[in-house]
Amino acid sequence: MEFEPKIVAFVCNWCTYAGADLAGTSRTKYATNVSIIRFPCTGRIDFMLLMKAFENGADGIIVSGCHPNDCHYTSGNFHARRRWIVFRSVLDFMGFDTDRITFSWVSAAEGTKWADLVNETTEKIRTKGPFTDFKKLDIETTNRMIDEELAK
Amino acid sequence: MKNLQNKVAELFENGTINLMIGFKNSINKLPVPCFIEKAEQIEQLIFTPECKGNLAVYLHKPEVKQAKKVGILANVATLRSIVQLTSENQLGDIEKTIITINAQNEILVFDKMEDVEAYVQANFPTYTDEDKKLLEQLSNMTREERWQFWTEQFSACVKCYACRAVCPMCYCPQCTVECNQPQWIKVSSETTGNLEWHTMRAMHLAGRCINCGECGRICPVGIPVHLLTAKMNQDIEAEFGSKTGFSCQSGYALNTFKPEDKEQFIK
Amino acid sequence: MEIKNIKSTNIPAFFDQLIQSGKVVIAPVLKKSGKVFFESVKSYSQVATDYIQTGFSAKSVVFPKVEELFSFVKNEDDIEITNNLQNIPETIVWGLRPCDASAFDYLVEFFLRENPDTYFAARKEKTTLIAVSCAKADDACFCTSVGLNPGSTAGSDILLTLMGEDVYVEVNTEKGKAAVETSAALFTPSEEKSKEEYLAKLTAKFSIDEIKERIKNAYESAEWKHESMGCFGCGACAFACPTCTCFNIEDEGTQNSGKRLRCWDACGFGQFTKHASGHNPRTNQTERRRQRLMHKFKYSVENLGIVSCVGCGRCIRVCPAHLNIFENILSVTK
Repeated sequence: MEFEPKIVAFVCNWCTYAGADLAGTSRTKYATNVSIIRFPCTGRIDFMLLMKAFENGADGIIVSGCHPNDCHYTSGNFHARRRWIVFRSVLDFMGFDTDRITFSWVSAAEGTKWADLVNETTEKIRTKGPFTDFKKLDIETTNRMIDEELAK
Repeated sequence: MKNLQNKVAELFENGTINLMIGFKNSINKLPVPCFIEKAEQIEQLIFTPECKGNLAVYLHKPEVKQAKKVGILANVATLRSIVQLTSENQLGDIEKTIITINAQNEILVFDKMEDVEAYVQANFPTYTDEDKKLLEQLSNMTREERWQFWTEQFSACVKCYACRAVCPMCYCPQCTVECNQPQWIKVSSETTGNLEWHTMRAMHLAGRCINCGECGRICPVGIPVHLLTAKMNQDIEAEFGSKTGFSCQSGYALNTFKPEDKEQFIK
Repeated sequence: MEIKNIKSTNIPAFFDQLIQSGKVVIAPVLKKSGKVFFESVKSYSQVATDYIQTGFSAKSVVFPKVEELFSFVKNEDDIEITNNLQNIPETIVWGLRPCDASAFDYLVEFFLRENPDTYFAARKEKTTLIAVSCAKADDACFCTSVGLNPGSTAGSDILLTLMGEDVYVEVNTEKGKAAVETSAALFTPSEEKSKEEYLAKLTAKFSIDEIKERIKNAYESAEWKHESMGCFGCGACAFACPTCTCFNIEDEGTQNSGKRLRCWDACGFGQFTKHASGHNPRTNQTERRRQRLMHKFKYSVENLGIVSCVGCGRCIRVCPAHLNIFENILSVTK
């Protein structure tokens, strides 16, 4: 069976979520692999939520909000942008594959952009394969490895 | 040392301080933090280049705050911490007397924070050679090699939180890890839980850490955690131009922004 | 107890034979950080020999830093619970110091005396302890102050003492005998010898009997505050300590599947004694540090009849502020 990536999308209510709605009302077909989580603003997105998503089975993440200067709360997305720059830096330094997280600005009028974004991300993650880095760190895996080693 | 001790005795006598935080010699030839409240304890006080600890962390202790008038023996790292903490409005409830000994062996007692700022700006410490080498090594590794490196390091972490305890910037009365409804950061010291903790720590310290390196130095299992925050600071300085522990009016990189901040990765 | 001899040049062969016998062998290994830690090894060449003490104790062999007690999966009509007690391998711990070996005696009292802890019991059952006497000590060591010495056989299944070209082997238990049997040809019988000249010389900092008496009145000592000023409230001392046994039970997972874990905990943490009501009986670090020291020298004596401190000095070495337990004890019992 072909690998179906699980994509989690963290989106802001006023722009990207509305844009996704527009894609829906326009009957645009796009990949069904995405689970959308609605935030009031990208400024509310805590970086730990992204890590937690990967730990709980996500293979890829989309983070999207209003274009700079268009934030419904004026500056939420500016703060978010800074946070993402630093977070990507931490992740990359630790050796985490930052390509699995796609950041974008999608406005309420960009239904097509949303659909394209989801499709592209899904295909990118499908090529990369399932995200197993965290699963390999699990203690059960370690225990099993010790047992297998002993059985040799 | 006699001059220093006499100076401190003077400060006690004229009521400028009730408590002196400094260093003393201990076993295994280690200088360790010492707390002087009485005149007869002053003779243990020392201050040498081997006194590397960052004493600013004690300025948050309730027992220290109780003393109100506190003297602190500060090496450059401690001075920078005090500057950074002042810019974060954290040291308002104690009257501090900050003392250092400069390269010419002169005892300096700082009157105003402006003097401390001027001093640290002139004596800005850079990373140790060892740290520079390791950081370069890590930058030259491939992503997969870095993942191997850090996950191997983190598998040894026991979540003792000594890195948090020794950091002067970690002063939250209730740390995120103590949030248990829901349990935000895993308690268990499995590698995933450790990864969560160290990522979170790096992010909460990004733009605030002054690179004293204490966290990495005191880690009981030898994980170079100070490199995570060192890298963050390097990147933040490169991206946004902000430095830490340099000025009492410096903003925090992550709660300010410039509309013209640039990035390449947002579609 | 049997006494044997083995040529020191044959130690690697004995060691490697233990590995060949199919057991997991845990020994001190020098890490890149310059610190020595107990780890699983595959050959004697990995074993560190020139060091005073390991960073952390070997208690994680019988009391792991994270232990899965059981896992569960919710099926349609029932809940499946699995534990992995049956997967515990036969383990040999090599290179314990006599203080560490004696600490295992305390762990046995703590975990098995009244309500036996099945997890600890299962692991201890499968563990053989091979200790090595100390020829050197540093300023943080104080085993002679707590009734032990650098050549004590307490707690170990075998104690090895290097005597020039020979190694004096004290086989203390059946488990020790079984380990020696794996390389029977390398051992020769030996008469009893004095280890004195091959052991580190450690002057006692105090008399433990005197401390046990004096500490009964130490609770209200005015010195606690001063002695605890340096303490930041991390868990380094408790985690490094071979006799600290406090733990926390954590559940991880979802409503449908998950696991219950036992994780190390430390009385130094601010939230350690916080009740569900929100009340915290130990609100400041002075009280918490007092608790730790009183527990080591008084409460464990009252509860189990033994002083739980073995004088290994790890707490002093790992402490970020290098708080000194024996200096503190002397100060509060003055």
